[in-house]
Amino acid sequence: MTYHLTSLFIGLVMAGSILWLLRRAHLHGAHALWWITLAIAIILLGSWPRLTDLVARYLGVSYPPIIAVLIAFALVLVKMLTMDLERSRLEQRLRRLAQRLALLEARLDALTPAAYSSLDHPQANILTEPPRDGLLSSRDPSRGERPA
Amino acid sequence: MIIIPARNEGAAIAQVIAEARRHFTTPVVVIDDASEDDTLVQAVRAGATVLRLPLHLGAWGAMQTGMRYAYRQGWELVVTLDADGQHDPADIAPLIAPLREGAADVVIGACPLRVSKARRLAWHYFRTLSGIALEDLTSGFRAYNRQAMERLICPDATLLDYQDVGVLLILRRQGLRVLEIPVTMRDRYDGKSRIFNSWWTVGHYMLKTSMLCLAGIGGQRGRACSDQD
Repeated sequence: MTYHLTSLFIGLVMAGSILWLLRRAHLHGAHALWWITLAIAIILLGSWPRLTDLVARYLGVSYPPIIAVLIAFALVLVKMLTMDLERSRLEQRLRRLAQRLALLEARLDALTPAAYSSLDHPQANILTEPPRDGLLSSRDPSRGERPA
Repeated sequence: MIIIPARNEGAAIAQVIAEARRHFTTPVVVIDDASEDDTLVQAVRAGATVLRLPLHLGAWGAMQTGMRYAYRQGWELVVTLDADGQHDPADIAPLIAPLREGAADVVIGACPLRVSKARRLAWHYFRTLSGIALEDLTSGFRAYNRQAMERLICPDATLLDYQDVGVLLILRRQGLRVLEIPVTMRDRYDGKSRIFNSWWTVGHYMLKTSMLCLAGIGGQRGRACSDQD
């Protein structure tokens, strides 16, 4: 087996899996675009590995294989950075959403005659009982030991 | 309006609410930060309005929720209390006095002597790094006016994890006046500090907060934001 066949095989498997995931709609929007570009690049490099030699000669790099590794590594770093940016943005939106849900639920509670009827909580039925006397004296020894 | 962020404070919350209600007639709002105990039930029984967060957002995330609530309801002042009974509601009156007089936008109830030497060293480090000239950086006993609320409910403040250095940086960069007044703090009814309890969390906290000092958080003075998202 020649190195050419090996690189072609690896390239086709990788590009094939990416395209399969794309077709199954597991990747969406900008992610799909990024990965389809990568799949094309992998097919190109896999079927024509000497491409790196040409690029390296053009750029004056004396050890051609490193150019592919270098570019791949740089792309991975860029991708990771954009992923973290995206994650921060999502985290912010998730937190805002959680806050908004709490605010909307409070408004709902205020509107419903039986307050807290929307309570999705195992102890919700306790709330329908009238508060018993002595309930507010929380210096009750049985609950004083509760871990923080 | 008095807001109390609470997570798993079922043992102490009722007493804190009862005390606050004894001193003031304004609504007491508890933000239940996805507690796993009976905080919610205790708070409702004690007569508080409870905002229930579906996810654990941390002390500041809960406080911000309370502030958004107070802001939407049109309150001019909001006071934050810790749910563990550290703060004496009798001190609320002196806390809000400077806000009523227009002498400050935020007043912090400070008790820097309550903490250990190691923590004071950490505060000293953050004071140097951030340039904030306040004694008590982490106190959760504060009063905010509407102007301060308006800025702190913005989405860019939502990514903060604690109410201390990050919030103070935003306030300073926005030119809001922060004042400290000394208060006494009591022992927590139960439990201990959530942050200063293991070396791992301390390290995490120090790094995160150091990063905040580097980040340009709270810049763009006077930029309006939308509370609707």
